[in-house]
Amino acid sequence: MDGFTLVLWGARLLFLLLLYVFLARVIRALLRDLRAAAREPVDRPGRLVVLESPGGEPAVGRSFGLDVITPLGRDVNNAIVIDDPFASAEHAVLTYRGRSWYLEDLESTNGSYINGQPIDGVAALGYGDELQIGQVRFRLERTRA
Amino acid sequence: MTAQAGRAGTSPAPRSLPRVLGPIRPRARWQELRLLLLVALTLAIGSVSLGTALTGEVGLHDPWGLGIYLAALLGAHGAQVLAGRRTDQILLPAVAMLGGLSLLLMERLPQDLVIQRFFGTSFGLAEVQLIWLVGAITVAATLGIIVRSDSWLRRYKYTWAAVGVGLLLLTFVLGTEINGQRLTLQIGPISGQPSELLKVILVVFLAGYLSENRALLVEQDTRVGPLRLPPLPYLAPMVAMWAIALGIVVVQRDLGAALLFFGVFLALLYAATGRISLVLIGLVLFLLGSAAMANLFEHIRTRIDIWIDPFSDPLGAGYQVIQALHAFARGGLLGMGLGGGLPEIGGRPPIPEIHTDFPLAALGEELGIVGVVAILGIYLVIVQRGLRIGVAAADDYRSLLAIGLALVIGIQAFIIAAGNLKVLPLTGVTLPFISYGGSSLLANAVVVGLLLALSDKGVEPPPLPRPGSRWRRLTRRAAA
Repeated sequence: MDGFTLVLWGARLLFLLLLYVFLARVIRALLRDLRAAAREPVDRPGRLVVLESPGGEPAVGRSFGLDVITPLGRDVNNAIVIDDPFASAEHAVLTYRGRSWYLEDLESTNGSYINGQPIDGVAALGYGDELQIGQVRFRLERTRA
Repeated sequence: MTAQAGRAGTSPAPRSLPRVLGPIRPRARWQELRLLLLVALTLAIGSVSLGTALTGEVGLHDPWGLGIYLAALLGAHGAQVLAGRRTDQILLPAVAMLGGLSLLLMERLPQDLVIQRFFGTSFGLAEVQLIWLVGAITVAATLGIIVRSDSWLRRYKYTWAAVGVGLLLLTFVLGTEINGQRLTLQIGPISGQPSELLKVILVVFLAGYLSENRALLVEQDTRVGPLRLPPLPYLAPMVAMWAIALGIVVVQRDLGAALLFFGVFLALLYAATGRISLVLIGLVLFLLGSAAMANLFEHIRTRIDIWIDPFSDPLGAGYQVIQALHAFARGGLLGMGLGGGLPEIGGRPPIPEIHTDFPLAALGEELGIVGVVAILGIYLVIVQRGLRIGVAAADDYRSLLAIGLALVIGIQAFIIAAGNLKVLPLTGVTLPFISYGGSSLLANAVVVGLLLALSDKGVEPPPLPRPGSRWRRLTRRAAA
């Protein structure tokens, strides 16, 4: 086998080898990324960010981690306390069932709103939707960003 | 009562403005740089392999073309470093590797397959492809840098849908017919294939529509016997989609685009709702439609006959498929080496549309199954990145957009790779980033650019939803 053939074969095999080296490095980076994501706590399926709050409690910009069942209202026993004259003591419950979020209005005096529309009993909502209780507005967001 | 009172005062606009115009800090992207250097080394070795095989002397093949391509990649990397956004660092190298393979392949094919004249100079296949590749990298990097808000896609989804349908109708009416397919739209000196752009518009529209109506699709049921279906009005877009796909097949004779559009639609529907029943209905509709089409139209029946038995007409309809299978067979495990395959028959390659429809067969012959598996692996990496960006996105719209964009590339690559390998009937879609063609490269570059923009972790929050869409208000009123 002369030198020329050797170079030809070398280049061919090296090219294929390098393709796989590239693939291996990329896949290593993907795995590292997935492992890092898996280490982050994911016990909270979502969060509520306060967009507007005339009373100052909760404060604008504050973010609440949500449990599977999160009661909202003016009473201090709620997971999210809304100190607003237009909120009822036990105003509404936010629940995560199956693959979806649901807001249930607990027959509050002034009602609950999703994207500006009053809800009737239970209504589904998605990430990015906006909900309003009393004069306080929240946005539902995914926990991991 | 005062529920609506506070709305007017708060708008996110003042807060987001300084962010767009604010100071820009460069941010190093070491991972991307390392991977790009590896791409450069790989392509250089490939070029040596190609040059040595073609000329009989050890050396690079067309160092200028390779140099220009690598310089464009470096430029895209540098621009992203200077822009300082925290976007994905794996997409660009992965796409760069596929584009580089495309360049090596086009340099290797007979240059007179395509001759285009710009400003009095005529360019051959590889040179035209190089121009488009550089353009595609520029488009992807530019979109990845400047797109900071998705509201221009999100707000105007029906406008985009109208643009898409308009493009389609324009092609129906004014399109020029090439090889029995009415795909190419020529306006003055510019010609292009609108179906490539259409697939991006389709994803933009579907992501908007599905994220807005996701809750309703998941929540409500219409019971038909044992089946639990979503509310019937919401099936209307599905039927419309099906009709459009069939329309593409009938008028444009473009089986591949129809398959791609319907596949992406079903996948996104499943991603948005998680309801397998919708996908099953879609598949049934698809099979019924295909069966009817196969009975009605000669060219579709021919495609299916070739797929089942190409050897029944080896010199006519089955010619391309058989030659592709032979190419894969010649390639074997390690391939003939770059520049080693494709003995030309009378100065032409044995497969007529090798640079657009059969690049995978050419690469299979020269790189063997080992190389083909690596290429398919790179496509999988791109899809994985897109899905990952979708999972991490802040809201449903961005999730569905990212997932849809990634699946467009993945499904398209699957359709044409399977067509080359005789797993599916052969259809005329391009192999993303590898096939020759400006429309295809630029449309896929737009996809990658949008994915890059969506992957930014420090991007502005999604805009506030509008207070209930018109459609939702209408249905609410009807329900009350």
